[in-house]
Amino acid sequence: MRSFFYNLGYFVKETFRMLRMNLLSNLFSLVGTGLILFLFGLVITGGTIGNRIVMLLSEEAQISAYFTDLTDMEKAEDLVSRIKELEGVRDAFYINATQAYGRMEKVLGEEAGILELFENNPFEAFIEIRIHMEAMDTVIEKVNALEGIDYVRDNIEVLEQMRGITQGLKILGYFIFLAVSITTLIILSHLIRQGIYHNREQIHTMKLLGAPNAFIGFPFVTVGLLLTLTGGLIASGLLVFFIDGAYGEMNGLLPFLPLPSKNELTSGIILWIPTVSAFLGISGSLFGLSSVKKVSG
Amino acid sequence: MIEANKVSLRYADNTLALNEVDVKINPGELVFITGPSGSGKTSLLKLLMGMEYPTAGTLKVLGQPMKKGRSGKISRIRRKIGPVFQEFKLIEGRTALENVYIGMRFLGMSPRKMKEYATTALDRVGLAHKKLSPVEKLSWGEAQRVAIARAVARKPHLILADEPTGNLDHDNAVKILELLKSFRSDQTAVIITTHATHLIEDEKDATFLYVNKGSVSIERRGKE
Repeated sequence: MRSFFYNLGYFVKETFRMLRMNLLSNLFSLVGTGLILFLFGLVITGGTIGNRIVMLLSEEAQISAYFTDLTDMEKAEDLVSRIKELEGVRDAFYINATQAYGRMEKVLGEEAGILELFENNPFEAFIEIRIHMEAMDTVIEKVNALEGIDYVRDNIEVLEQMRGITQGLKILGYFIFLAVSITTLIILSHLIRQGIYHNREQIHTMKLLGAPNAFIGFPFVTVGLLLTLTGGLIASGLLVFFIDGAYGEMNGLLPFLPLPSKNELTSGIILWIPTVSAFLGISGSLFGLSSVKKVSG
Repeated sequence: MIEANKVSLRYADNTLALNEVDVKINPGELVFITGPSGSGKTSLLKLLMGMEYPTAGTLKVLGQPMKKGRSGKISRIRRKIGPVFQEFKLIEGRTALENVYIGMRFLGMSPRKMKEYATTALDRVGLAHKKLSPVEKLSWGEAQRVAIARAVARKPHLILADEPTGNLDHDNAVKILELLKSFRSDQTAVIITTHATHLIEDEKDATFLYVNKGSVSIERRGKE
């Protein structure tokens, strides 16, 4: 351990000497690793956004119950009170036809002019019921069974689709992580082996002088770590730039989409991508280092 | 310091390089290993360095048995040895000083101590003025002296020099032998292989190991 601290300067010098030795090859590896990690980051970002949307939609899960024949306001209020008492119901509100029309106008935004084509308000009054996602089936059944309720409309299909997409992204993320790991490990271990081959005479001499394998191998590990960490930082920079642009576009096109906070997302990227890349760098270098033992000494 | 009991070394191609060698070397001894080319001198040195292992018998260097599969322990033994290789094994692209440092970096020495020992060693071999020269720019003789400085700077218990007089004229060979002998001390034994017997025949205080066809005979001269 003492030798390690006494030789920090030597290790840094050796690391940069090795990087200079195969400069072009190292530069290509750096760019390659950076791009692979960028792709990995994209999938992680997609998965995070998807998860967030599903979570928020699940929290806001609601169904709409329509009346068979609504003439009596008192009857409607009574139904709302009875629905509120059902298990799995968080809240219920009566929405009259005018409020329903207003809501649709908001959703349609600039396209709301289309509603003016109708002579009368095409929307009818309903009860908006906020529920716990897991109780959706039971609540729908119970509300449907209430006297005065004609039918119930739910958004379960949309939620299921979103959940499916997120699940798919997650699986894709695992595959990409596997691909990124294998590729990075192979690139790095190949680089390290190449470095060991170029330095075999020096390694042989150091072994004859009694240098421990850990001492000989340390500069190779720092080369691997430096390459992947720099690749990771490049990938993080690109991702932050990409997320910034994408958020700008999404806010303009789909303002109602419940995206996670941009700062939260980018801080996550800045923390995780370099961490993963450093881990891969160290693993790949250690994997490649096994060939130090093969250098006779 | 070194204890060989019936040590034999047979290579993979079945060549018997050393046959039942019995030898004991004490701290502070000056030892010359002589014999014709191919007699087994280098094989004996390789055994002492842990580059080969006995195929029969037992060998202890600095109190440690030299056995295959003990790479960690062999490394620790090597750290107490100062080897001067026949082909020097200096690292190109580095200065003389950096080459001397290479042998000391993993010994737990502080940078100040390392600098002091390396500078002293280069001074003793007469190369203090060339310490910042890249080794590939040094002459053959200078490179050999850097190799000697690298071996002695780490204050070894044992200095092993393989044919240091091999490519030198008489005067330079004598100088190199004198230089190597000067590092002998109570704690440090110096072992030199050479086939230039005329250079060492007048030695009064040394041990001679005569190697011939794998067999070793010993002659001790001087103080007991």
